[in-house]
Amino acid sequence: MDATQAAVRFEGVQKSYDGETLVVKDLNLSIAKGEFVTMLGPSGSGKTTCLMMLAGFETATRGEIYIGQRSINRVPPHKRNIGMVFQNYALFPHMSVAENLAYPLKVRGIDKAERETRVLRALDMVQLAPFANRRPGMLSGGQQQRVAVARALVFDPDIVLMDEPLGALDKQLREQMQYEIKHIHERIGVTVVYVTHDQSEALTMSNRIAVFNDGVIQQLAPPTELYERPSNAFVAHFIGENNRLDGIVRSRDGDICQVELGDGSMVRSLAVNIGGVGSRTTLSLRPERVTVHAKAGEIDNVFAGKVEELIYLGDHIRTRVSLCGQDDFIVKLPNSDRHAMLEPGANVHFGWNAGDCRALDG
Amino acid sequence: MAKLPPYVTLGDRLWTLGYKLLCGLIYLFLIAPILVVIPLSFNAEPYFTFTPEMLHFDPAGYSLRWYRDVLGSEDWLNAFRNSFVIGVFATLIATLLGTVAALGLSNSRMPYRASVMALLLSPMIVPVIISAAGMYFFFSNVGLSQTFPGIILAHAALGTPFVVITVTATLSGFDRSLMRASASLGAPPATTFFQVVVPLIAPGVISGALFAFVTSFDEVVAVLFLSGASQRTVPRQMWSGIREQISPSILAVATLLILLSVLLLATLELLRRRNERLRGLR
Amino acid sequence: MADSTPILGDDGLTLKAKLRQAERRNKLKTFGLTVPLLAFILVTFVFPILLMIARSVDNPVPVRAIPQTLEALQSWTPPTLPAEATYRLFAEELLAADETGDLGRLASRLNYDLPGSRSALTRLGRALRRGAEDGQSYRALFEEVDPRWSEPEIWAGLKALDGRLTGAYYLAATDRTRDVDGDIVLQPENTRIYIGLYLKTLWVSLLVTLFCVLLAYPIAYQLATLPTGRANLLMILVLLPFWTSLLVRTTAWIVLLQSQGVLNDILVALGILDDEGRVQLIYNMTGTIVALTHILLPFMVLPLYSVMKTIPPNYRRAAISMGATPSRAWIDVFFPLTIPGLGAGSVLVFILCIGYYITPALVGGRTGQLISSEIAYHMQSSLNWGLAAALGTILLVGVLALYWIYDRLVGIDNLKMG
Ligand SMILES: Nc1ncnc2c1ncn2[C@@H]1O[C@H](COP(=O)(O)OP(=O)(O)O)[C@@H](O)[C@H]1O
Ligand SMILES: [Mg+2]
Repeated sequence: MDATQAAVRFEGVQKSYDGETLVVKDLNLSIAKGEFVTMLGPSGSGKTTCLMMLAGFETATRGEIYIGQRSINRVPPHKRNIGMVFQNYALFPHMSVAENLAYPLKVRGIDKAERETRVLRALDMVQLAPFANRRPGMLSGGQQQRVAVARALVFDPDIVLMDEPLGALDKQLREQMQYEIKHIHERIGVTVVYVTHDQSEALTMSNRIAVFNDGVIQQLAPPTELYERPSNAFVAHFIGENNRLDGIVRSRDGDICQVELGDGSMVRSLAVNIGGVGSRTTLSLRPERVTVHAKAGEIDNVFAGKVEELIYLGDHIRTRVSLCGQDDFIVKLPNSDRHAMLEPGANVHFGWNAGDCRALDG
Repeated sequence: MAKLPPYVTLGDRLWTLGYKLLCGLIYLFLIAPILVVIPLSFNAEPYFTFTPEMLHFDPAGYSLRWYRDVLGSEDWLNAFRNSFVIGVFATLIATLLGTVAALGLSNSRMPYRASVMALLLSPMIVPVIISAAGMYFFFSNVGLSQTFPGIILAHAALGTPFVVITVTATLSGFDRSLMRASASLGAPPATTFFQVVVPLIAPGVISGALFAFVTSFDEVVAVLFLSGASQRTVPRQMWSGIREQISPSILAVATLLILLSVLLLATLELLRRRNERLRGLR
Repeated sequence: MADSTPILGDDGLTLKAKLRQAERRNKLKTFGLTVPLLAFILVTFVFPILLMIARSVDNPVPVRAIPQTLEALQSWTPPTLPAEATYRLFAEELLAADETGDLGRLASRLNYDLPGSRSALTRLGRALRRGAEDGQSYRALFEEVDPRWSEPEIWAGLKALDGRLTGAYYLAATDRTRDVDGDIVLQPENTRIYIGLYLKTLWVSLLVTLFCVLLAYPIAYQLATLPTGRANLLMILVLLPFWTSLLVRTTAWIVLLQSQGVLNDILVALGILDDEGRVQLIYNMTGTIVALTHILLPFMVLPLYSVMKTIPPNYRRAAISMGATPSRAWIDVFFPLTIPGLGAGSVLVFILCIGYYITPALVGGRTGQLISSEIAYHMQSSLNWGLAAALGTILLVGVLALYWIYDRLVGIDNLKMG
């Protein structure tokens, strides 16, 4: 993407709270106008800090943040025109829902009639018009969440930031809200920077996901690419389920390399992110990409394994297998009559293609 | 000191500075009396202000004479003895009654909880001058005025609300399923009480007791109304010291009392930490 | 489903009844724990206060000492003087009362209602003991002893003493009295004390509450926003005075504020005052207000602090992200949420202030006394216990009303110390 068109741009941003450890290390990120970008990472990885720097409640220790063409390091937070949804919503408990929504318009000096129409429009958007005069404390968690979203949007901000906005909701409501937020975004096309530690949330909603760990973006990519083509072991492990096989690179031929595992088996893999021959690597293999009763010649890698345990999960059967010297190798079998049930203790051949087995950093 | 963000204006800076200065002055107001009393109690002269020698840190300006005065005075020593005796007994009564009552009050099944609580806490709210006047009428009718038991009972009554408050607060955070757990593990009720309940509420009980002790140790109105010459307490002695012949020895006593409150504060803080640790809050 | 039979236990009681029984037993057991303290508080605290309230209307002496005179006076009305027979009856009853010592008590009692009338009665007692001259009427004797006996006022005063209960102390406590005709009127302006004093007490309490708010708010805010470590350190500065003996703090204020005291010395040394121009900061209202503000300040800081502590910082951030300036966000969002704490602290400080005795008594001088000093004065010096009790009862009613408001506002359960 052309950096000059970006709605938001972090350039070499660093942050340290105590002057010793860097919580955010050299962050570079461009977000296009109208894009929905999610910062995904484990707790403590610096996501909130990035958001707070963008909103202006924390100052970057080094680097520049741009909104459009303009560096905002010297712009105070109330002039940044950024809407924000906080984790616990931060709805003002002493104001009614309508007053909460009217607040950003009021501080902008918008007159009363205009305020009312815009508040009503925003409430309609989240289907909460009948609740306009309630206090936030009298709403359910999901309703509060929607009020918070409406309040962040009602003043037509350039950018909306959401910091784990669904964290306090139960699973079902969370999934419903994910779609609602996604649809609102699609409808009004505002730029959204979304923070979560829940991968399925990130995969559902985002145009692009920035996977954070330890203050560094590990990979920035659209959801499918992130899942299908993780560029390092952290991402592979963090997004979706994944078999890890540690080994050493023995040879390389273009995109394909041969990796020797601990028990001496040789695996043909896709060389994604490896050092030279002889370096350590971690192979990443999605459990659903493993074939049962594989025959040599039809598929790149075939190994004999022993079925240890079967767990019935409805739509699929999780099978734990001893394979290549590892006893926690997972294979996902779809629950269909095409597959004969395996028996625990059975010796079976498992196989996978080199393209599904990614050799990543060690 | 956190670095201020780059968009902060000069006005903001001045405002922050002014605010900090204001807070500093308020803390000074709070602490000034204590700061003044301590050095002046070492004054070599019978004045209530800093002599030039004191200001120049001339050792000759300082002395322990007022402490010697106090420690050599039968009146003061008696007063300290009386205060401790009255305080200890009043605390024992208040703590015992208050803790037992708190065990009931913290139970959600307690009937008329709010009204009983309001009644039990009222000695803290009703002006002491009124309680003391009432007690004066009552105690002279039953022959308790000008006796130690009379003052002890009065102080116990004034101290119970503090015990009730602190112990109920401790108990409100007390997980009753612990008692069921203990019972389910085979402990008889008495064992449960002493092995499980007591250790957990002990910090609350002790801080309640300290409050009750301080209430008694610092109380002067009831003493003015109820005591005779032989029950003079430290505050009573200070009261007449201030009213009649104010002498710097009163500052020496004041310093000793400040020392006592520092010790109490430290004890309370330790108890609070212990309490938090016991509950795994830190 | 509809006609379900009640579940029976083996002793024939329905399960429901048994449950209710067990519940009742549990409640009784719980209540039983509070009984010892309740009994103790009732005996040592509530009952004495009821006794004091009783004192404020109790009037045993007149009906005991001069019952017939009082009865005779009921048919008399001013402005004439009573009949000779009433004089004689009164003289006889007075002589008898002199034997039991009631004459002195009656004189004091009359003196409360008619200041200065004590001597009229005691002199009369002395004269009656000597006996009347032959042929002299009682009326002449009375008027010879003291000219006040020729006025209807003193007789009206005696008449008003009738009754086992009296409202006279409450009249006196509200600067009222009865005129000759028995009507309640305000006392002459120069002898009105108490209404003014009550108002002054309320005013001072209001001022002290206001000062406490002004001083407590900034530091409570600072304590609530600083990181825990440093906040705890500063908290010591609030808690140490709180735990320090009242008399120590009062002494300290005298040392600081008196005209030869530390503050005046500093001002003189700095050249702000000259040595002759030292200001009197204590033994007057200033002293009372300063010392009371200092003593009650922690009671405002602590509730404010605990309320502010619970306001998430995200509220202000949310307001600012929506475009409010920091100060606007503070006014619109933070401040309104602290009002409960402000209310709780204010009522508490106000309650504690209106009944405060020690500090005003020690640093208030002549002008800085509050109503409590007057109660103490009548308890200890003038020994007009009825009046002390009436003054105390009025104060008590005020305090209990505020206590009730406090309970409504915050709940007594939330009263916390330290
Ligand atoms: N105000 C602060 N002061 C000091 N350290 C902080 C502060 N806020 C966050 N941190 C630290 O910075 C790191 C990143 O925190 P955060 O940005 O909140 O992570 P995330 O939102 O990804 O969970 C954590 O180690 C946290 O302890
Ligand atoms: Mg976070």
